[in-house]
Amino acid sequence: MKKFLVAAALVGFGVIVAFPLFSLGYYTMVRTSTPQFCASCHEIKPAVVAWRSSTHTNNAAGVVVDCMDCHLPAPQDTFKFFFAKSYHGLKDVAVHFLGGEYDREKAREAAYAAFDNNECQKCHRNVLYMPTQRGAMLAHRTVVYARPGYEKKCIDCHYDLVHSDRGIVMFRQTRNIPYQAKGLRQL
Amino acid sequence: MRRYHLYVFVGILSLALVAAGVMMAFAQPNFAKVKEYRIERSVPPEAQACIACHQTTTPGVFADWAKSRHANANITCLDCHLIQPGDQDIAQDHEKYYGRSDLPWGEGKYKMPIASIVTPKDCSRCHPDEATQYSKSKHANTIEIMWKLDPWLNNGMNSDNERKTGCFNCHGTVVKIDDNGKIDPATWPNAGVGRINLDGSKGSCTSCHTRHRFSVAEARKPEACDQCHLGPDHPQIEIYEESKHGTIYHAYKEEYNFDAAGGTWTPGVDYRAPTCAACHMSGSGKEPTSHDVTQRLSWETQAPLTVRPQDFKPFPSGSNWQAERQKMKNVCSACHGNAWIEDFYDGFDKAVEEYNEVYFKPAKAKLGELYEKGLLDNTKFFDERLEVEYYELWHHEGRRARMGVMMMAPDYAWWHGFYECKLRFANYMEEANHLIDTNQKAYVAKDFPNATGNPAKPKEVFPDN
Repeated sequence: MKKFLVAAALVGFGVIVAFPLFSLGYYTMVRTSTPQFCASCHEIKPAVVAWRSSTHTNNAAGVVVDCMDCHLPAPQDTFKFFFAKSYHGLKDVAVHFLGGEYDREKAREAAYAAFDNNECQKCHRNVLYMPTQRGAMLAHRTVVYARPGYEKKCIDCHYDLVHSDRGIVMFRQTRNIPYQAKGLRQL
Repeated sequence: MRRYHLYVFVGILSLALVAAGVMMAFAQPNFAKVKEYRIERSVPPEAQACIACHQTTTPGVFADWAKSRHANANITCLDCHLIQPGDQDIAQDHEKYYGRSDLPWGEGKYKMPIASIVTPKDCSRCHPDEATQYSKSKHANTIEIMWKLDPWLNNGMNSDNERKTGCFNCHGTVVKIDDNGKIDPATWPNAGVGRINLDGSKGSCTSCHTRHRFSVAEARKPEACDQCHLGPDHPQIEIYEESKHGTIYHAYKEEYNFDAAGGTWTPGVDYRAPTCAACHMSGSGKEPTSHDVTQRLSWETQAPLTVRPQDFKPFPSGSNWQAERQKMKNVCSACHGNAWIEDFYDGFDKAVEEYNEVYFKPAKAKLGELYEKGLLDNTKFFDERLEVEYYELWHHEGRRARMGVMMMAPDYAWWHGFYECKLRFANYMEEANHLIDTNQKAYVAKDFPNATGNPAKPKEVFPDN
């Protein structure tokens, strides 16, 4: 009887305390995962404005690629995802209040350094068979099956893609000039 | 009467022949047949416009491309020449063709921003590993090396046009846009290996894979290298021609298979003796191909004092000479046994040692002594005879001797090399000692010609200067 009471108390505790806590955590995660939330820091706002004018937001398929989709580890890697999200959130808040100049170019370089091909390849999975873009087929093979010492990132060639200040809103379907990777950024 | 018949007959025959000739001329005009191009594969209409128009305006460029691997792979003009609006090197004059209603493709809907100059960075869109290797080579960085070493440039001893048509033709120009937004004609056309491009990338893939064929086979032949690697100061091609490698190449090149797919070009199978590329760049045995020509070198035979590539101050290779020599030995071992290779390197190392110790170091010490005693004036180089002699000792015969030994050309090792070094050295020392003994200042050329070149290092390569 006593055992049953203890168990019941624990379950009750779980329902009353842990469940709301979990919901709160979940709700916080959802709330803090939107581009709108990211733009609430004035440092990040220009990046969000540029993103909104890019083809990663405006395309015929209606696909919108959010900040997190590119800038955080893939969510299936749960621990890394939560750790990276919390770490970056706390760090950004701390830096925001402790001051220090925000250098967009420096931040850009840091983002390039942090990127992982997995983040791009969550969506861009079919990059090896592109019959109308033979050059891209050739180049993508050197990334997907990189020779030792020649490993490279998607963003080494595909940069200035989203966060460039254009002045106009780009739509993928009305693009006049075909998209083309820019070639290796390091050259 | 019979004569009259003959006249009529000959007259009719002549008329018939002339008529036949005229008809044949109309039937088969004496024009070169234009290579056909049917749009049978998915090519964007803008690229179709490029091809159709250039088929008639620049048939040479078109026919060259049509025979290329690029055409095989459906890679068109746009894939390399397209740029983004706002880029500084947009070919402005090209844009006006899209407004020409007399041209079948002169319509605004085909208008694309185009750049004349295609750079290694553009090529890296499809060939990133090759471009990366190349960017690390002495080829790509030759403008930096040249400006760190060369007295012609740093002392302004030749004219800007002597540089454009001479030095920069091989080494490359620093490409610039003039005030009208056009490419500065002082910097273009140019396919130099170290050309500094507007996008910041270095060099030109078309130095060796000439446009618009972009052939692998071409770059595998010694003829791809010999435009620059020749002459009194670095006669690599002449040395190669004299070497056994070169003589075998000339005797058997018809049998060589220069078109082997990348990674499959095989010594002994596709070629009997190596070409320049075979030893310095191509894959062989366990050695992978590299577009970094600095690889596989264990001595800098072009430098005044022969040093290891990692100790070459203007552009340290970042490599380890033992490892690089091992790579070259691996290449040699496709055809040669160990003893052969070791004994060859033994001779090469000895030649380097002798050049350094017996010829170069004493000559350099003597030059220093002359400067120190004020007998030579060190404000400018080349305006005193001993400076020229010293220069030619290392830059001409000194290189011929070392390179001649390295690439196994006996005539260059000895008659054009060490023999000339000996004469030069003896004359140089005689004159130097004469000045020292008599405490006499050397004659300074007051009338040194055309020393008008800009001595300022290019900002694009030396931002801190």
